Amino acid sequence: MILSSIHLKNFRRHRDSYITFSDELNYIVGGNGQGKTSILDSIYYLCTTKSYNSKTDGEVVSFNQNDFEITGSFKDLTQEEIRIYYSLEENKKHYFQNSKQIFRSADVIGKHPVVILTPNDHAISQGSPADRRRFVDSVISQASSLYLKNLLDYNKTLRQRASLLSQLKEAKNKNSLEQLDAWSEKLAAAGVDIINHRKRFINEFNPYVTNAYKKIMKEEENPEIIYQTINNARTELNANSFLGLLEECREEEIKRGSNLVGPHRDEFVFEINNINLKTFGSQGQQKTFQVVLRFAQFFYLKEKCGKTPIFLLDDVFGELDAFRSGKISSSLKNLGQAFITLTDMANFSFLERSRCDKVIHINKGCVSYA
Amino acid sequence: MQLAEPLQAAIEELSKLPGIGKKTAQRLALFLLKGENENVANLLKALHELKTKLRLCARCFNISEEELCPICQSAKRDDSVICVVEEASDVIAIEKSNEYYGIYHVIGGVLSPLSGIGPDTLKIKELLKRFESENIKEIILALNPDTEGETTALYLAKLIKPLGIKVTRIARGLPIGGDLEFADEATIGRAVSGRIEL
Repeated sequence: MILSSIHLKNFRRHRDSYITFSDELNYIVGGNGQGKTSILDSIYYLCTTKSYNSKTDGEVVSFNQNDFEITGSFKDLTQEEIRIYYSLEENKKHYFQNSKQIFRSADVIGKHPVVILTPNDHAISQGSPADRRRFVDSVISQASSLYLKNLLDYNKTLRQRASLLSQLKEAKNKNSLEQLDAWSEKLAAAGVDIINHRKRFINEFNPYVTNAYKKIMKEEENPEIIYQTINNARTELNANSFLGLLEECREEEIKRGSNLVGPHRDEFVFEINNINLKTFGSQGQQKTFQVVLRFAQFFYLKEKCGKTPIFLLDDVFGELDAFRSGKISSSLKNLGQAFITLTDMANFSFLERSRCDKVIHINKGCVSYA
Repeated sequence: MQLAEPLQAAIEELSKLPGIGKKTAQRLALFLLKGENENVANLLKALHELKTKLRLCARCFNISEEELCPICQSAKRDDSVICVVEEASDVIAIEKSNEYYGIYHVIGGVLSPLSGIGPDTLKIKELLKRFESENIKEIILALNPDTEGETTALYLAKLIKPLGIKVTRIARGLPIGGDLEFADEATIGRAVSGRIEL
């Protein structure tokens, strides 16, 4: 899948930018705050309906403007036009595929697979378990809309159950305890699906991580992701054992008024040669692992979605040594379409460039081609 | 701009209706204002009768003109089977199918701790009472297949099963006349896991 052009209106620094892209590597070059990352963000918007670095849609609108619009032309088997329109006044986003409006974001996610490597990725290996769950969920959700639906259902159950638990904490009555059983059963049914899906995913995903480690970073070390959930066996979990654990923690859950058992407390441990990366990994190893995860995600989604994802690399080379950067750069060739932001082309002489690549200069939200 | 007060009031009242926004409400109010007096009088009469002549059936909480709704009064219905639904509109939907000959019980919502809706808010006690006075053999749970609907079904099953009454839930799967290829993954997944032997 290829993004051939994009049209931005009132999107951060871009008042009205029309940009055409190469089918291979696109280097987006410009100083700080000129609007490089905005281009990657707008591509991410088209693929997922969301921004990857803004919490609300309103933040993205240019100063003193009331709305933004992104239009992208995708080339797959046929041409496809995706348009997103957002207005501050309505505080509502409209998503159009070939002029037809799509109402549910679950119908969009995964249709245009996208992988993004950003400086924020340090949170995946060094941040909290929630950051790692978010990473895993985002990969599986793009590959399986069923998982995404289960996850939304599970999260809704969690919120309802938490509310009931805090009601129980304040005033005990027997009627609510029976209701708690019903919510527990629902939580177990939805939670088991998520845990088993994550188990299967980690088994499938680990070889992709190993592969990326060996082939891209040319490292001899052995990486592995270890999934820690409510049962640590490698076997499939059933709803009854989940319910058993809920039963055991019932008193404690009521005392604390919150959900204490379930996949919302899962952890994914990253290891290199059986050593915990978060605790013992060097900065270089952390960085390598983050890059490897994104390459693994790329090949995993390519296989699962049957489409080549778009690869976005935001300011990645700035933090890496020339040796690692060179290896990433050479791996990007023949991979598909990628978008790479750089502050200055001259500093990156190690980049392997081919004739099809395009260099796009951004200056104060205005676009020129080299 | 300041609108005339009666117009403003009409718009405010109309926009309280579900699915009606400020603009639609304004259009409706202006339409009524321009229209024949008789139309407005008829509408008022219909609305008034809606509130005064109708009430909830004392047995099943369906909409009714009398103490008991026509379904509860009917001698043709099988009164050993109760179909539990969320709202009266669900009764209408199931009645349209002409496939169900039992009676109903409208519980008036689903469990939702976040919105403060618990078993006491719903007509669940009333349902349990019916087991004492009526000879019920089966309960069919026909609640919506969403998070809250499913949990409410689980809750009811837990309450009713120990009483020795058969509890079933309506099947979920593909719509009749629908194409398999157009169904969403969750529906197909459910349809496959709930398959039946031929």
